[in-house]
Amino acid sequence: MAIEFGLNEEQEMLKTMARDFLANECPMSRVRELMEDETGFSADLWKKMADVGWLGLVLPEEYGGAGMNFRDLTVLLDEMGRQVFPSPFISTLLYVGMPILNFGTEEQKKELLPKICSGEAVCTLAALEDDGDWWADSIKVRADRRGDSYVINGTKLFVPDAQAANYMLIAARTKRTENPEEGITLFLLDTSEVWGMLTTPLKTMDETRKLYEVVFMNVPIPAKNILGELHQGWPIMKYIELHTTAALCAEMVGAGERAFEMTVDYLKERVAFGVVIGSFQALQHRAADLAIGLEYSRSLMEWAAENIKENHPDAATSVAMAKSFCGDTCKKVVAEGIQMHGGIGFTWDHDMHLYFKRIWVDDNAFGDSIYQRELVAKALDDIHQLSGYGRWRRMPGVTGAVGQSLI
Amino acid sequence: MVSEESEKLQALRQEVRTWLRENLPEGWGTPAYVPPVRGTAEAQAAGKEWSKKLYDAGYTGFTVPKEYGGVERPRDEQAVIREEMSRTGTPPGPGTLGYLAVAALMRWGTEEQKKRWIPKIMTNEECWCECFSEPNAGSDLANLQKTGVRDGDDWIVNGQSVWTSSSKFADWGIVPVRTDVNAPRHRNLSFFVFDCKSPGFSVKPLRQMTGDAEFGETFFDDVRIPHANMIGEEGQGWYVAMGVLEAERGGGMRIGEGAAAVGVTTLGGVENFVELAKNTKRRGQVAWDDPLFRQRIAQFAIENEAIRASTQRMRVKAMKGQLTGHEQSITSVYRREKNQHQANMVAEMIGASIQYMRGDKRALDEGSWTYTFLRSRGNTIETGTTEINRGIIAERLLGLPRTRM
Repeated sequence: MAIEFGLNEEQEMLKTMARDFLANECPMSRVRELMEDETGFSADLWKKMADVGWLGLVLPEEYGGAGMNFRDLTVLLDEMGRQVFPSPFISTLLYVGMPILNFGTEEQKKELLPKICSGEAVCTLAALEDDGDWWADSIKVRADRRGDSYVINGTKLFVPDAQAANYMLIAARTKRTENPEEGITLFLLDTSEVWGMLTTPLKTMDETRKLYEVVFMNVPIPAKNILGELHQGWPIMKYIELHTTAALCAEMVGAGERAFEMTVDYLKERVAFGVVIGSFQALQHRAADLAIGLEYSRSLMEWAAENIKENHPDAATSVAMAKSFCGDTCKKVVAEGIQMHGGIGFTWDHDMHLYFKRIWVDDNAFGDSIYQRELVAKALDDIHQLSGYGRWRRMPGVTGAVGQSLI
Repeated sequence: MVSEESEKLQALRQEVRTWLRENLPEGWGTPAYVPPVRGTAEAQAAGKEWSKKLYDAGYTGFTVPKEYGGVERPRDEQAVIREEMSRTGTPPGPGTLGYLAVAALMRWGTEEQKKRWIPKIMTNEECWCECFSEPNAGSDLANLQKTGVRDGDDWIVNGQSVWTSSSKFADWGIVPVRTDVNAPRHRNLSFFVFDCKSPGFSVKPLRQMTGDAEFGETFFDDVRIPHANMIGEEGQGWYVAMGVLEAERGGGMRIGEGAAAVGVTTLGGVENFVELAKNTKRRGQVAWDDPLFRQRIAQFAIENEAIRASTQRMRVKAMKGQLTGHEQSITSVYRREKNQHQANMVAEMIGASIQYMRGDKRALDEGSWTYTFLRSRGNTIETGTTEINRGIIAERLLGLPRTRM
């Protein structure tokens, strides 16, 4: 299989359409308004997104979707990243729509997917708790059996768009065993008719993406609302992790490239000491380093998205590589973006801090660059063991090495 | 846009893979392979033999038309061959330096000049050297001091070059010369091919910090170069030289096509680092279990994939005509610095044993790590310093104004 990079005709069209749509429907002034809004959600904008086919972009046509693929989806996310777009798009499609499509019963799919495509459903995922890290052991919210139902108790944190959402996927513990990945179950909750659920906004740094605390107090959910199998929620969580991590790479690259463009434009117009500051070598060489980083970020991101689309066995490793690299690069891009803008870049009114915050939050989600690198190291370990490497002979008694032949 | 590879391409991939397995030296790509010392007759002969093999197999020479001895193949086949070669870190052939002459000749040479020189570069029957850098003109190439004075059908050239690779073994050389001392910068140079056996041309080995003499200092003492050997017009030498440098910097994008992979060694395979880290203990701890080394090695794996993916992406852009040619500066800076970072990591990981050089019985892997460590210092200087390349990225790709001098 040979991967071809770049965009095909359809993707070029999607990109152009997305850029125009976002420029018209959500210019930076509108982004700022949505930041100020408590829910950060515009029903009007959401409806328009449904009308242009974005909400069901990767859902099959039989449910009202556009039937496009994961690589196409990253083209759209890339554009949304450029605009630090405030929207429950990732929450709805990546966190809930795609998992329902892949693990749901036919009934669940018929119930929810058409509503996602039409814009009637706004969805989110309640997975994280105290530590905010995506790992099985941290899931402590309990779901206990009561007849044909379960009752949910506990507190979820960092739940995106919870106030706008009318459907919520909840990761709860249904069994405690030695292995924390066992005994997690996912429940789909229609939040419009529920008692005992308290949603409170968190005061967080990236105001373009609203996060909430959600407290469950004996919230009943029918057993038929379980997604997948009882106790077997973790593999679905891994699916969500893989796809959303790749999605965030696309968003980060889009945001990083836009922040870099703003910075280069500024270097070309800002005058100091009688010349434009972009003529200073101290800034030129740093700008060149950022350009280099973004080039490789985009390549890794596109490669990871292709691997997911193709269900390639290397998909998980390529996503970890992309996330690590895109995170490192984009964090540097926005930090330098502020620095190179000088004082103006540090103000609330300038947009650079929106990019700075979004990228740092994205980098942290599903594990930052350091964590992702460790995943890569583990993959290298596996490859190393599989390949039976180590046939080359070492000199015995060498300082600093074990010194034994491995043959 | 992933397409299933046709059966024909799959068969070719298999063919190349098998061929490489059978023809690459024993232990290639691992420290078990100990290359001949660079700059020696042995290394020169090995390189020549390898180039010939590659050419005979039809795996090289794609940028040159058949009439000049090139190998014409469809683009997708070229891509498969290059990919397989870069997977194994196969050394480029034919003669890297000859290819620089090809870059100049293809664009600026007359029909007669092309027919005379290119075919023997392709078969590697004749070796070439490049006399560009001077003691006082490295990054600032326009400051070249070599002079040429017209005398009948010849030019009489005087001056000196440094860092001339393979000068000891070269049959031909390329050299920009100041032919008009009164003309302004960038219009005062002419570009020549000269015969290395010409009277007055001499070579003194230049020993670098590895202890080897891979390069030479070359002296032009009233060397006569026929006017017929001028490439391009009189006064155009700067532009011809720039074209050659662009080809040289493109090393990362044209693996297997002979542009400069100078000094970028083949020990970069991450599995070698994993293996080394697993077998290295420092104060009782296995290096591979130390998060700092794990992180750095994983980073190199990521960077290797980034370069691989970008090379493919640039190739697609090139086919669509979306490349300016300056993108190779990105690859150049990144690969060369990565090479250095890797070497530094190894040096820090294996500790005191990095001191042992080849020839000491305690040297790890015949001293190849130490050699790579020392040699990599040159990587960010040769073929244009990384500073020059960053300047190209800033000015040509980002459109920033010319640097204030």
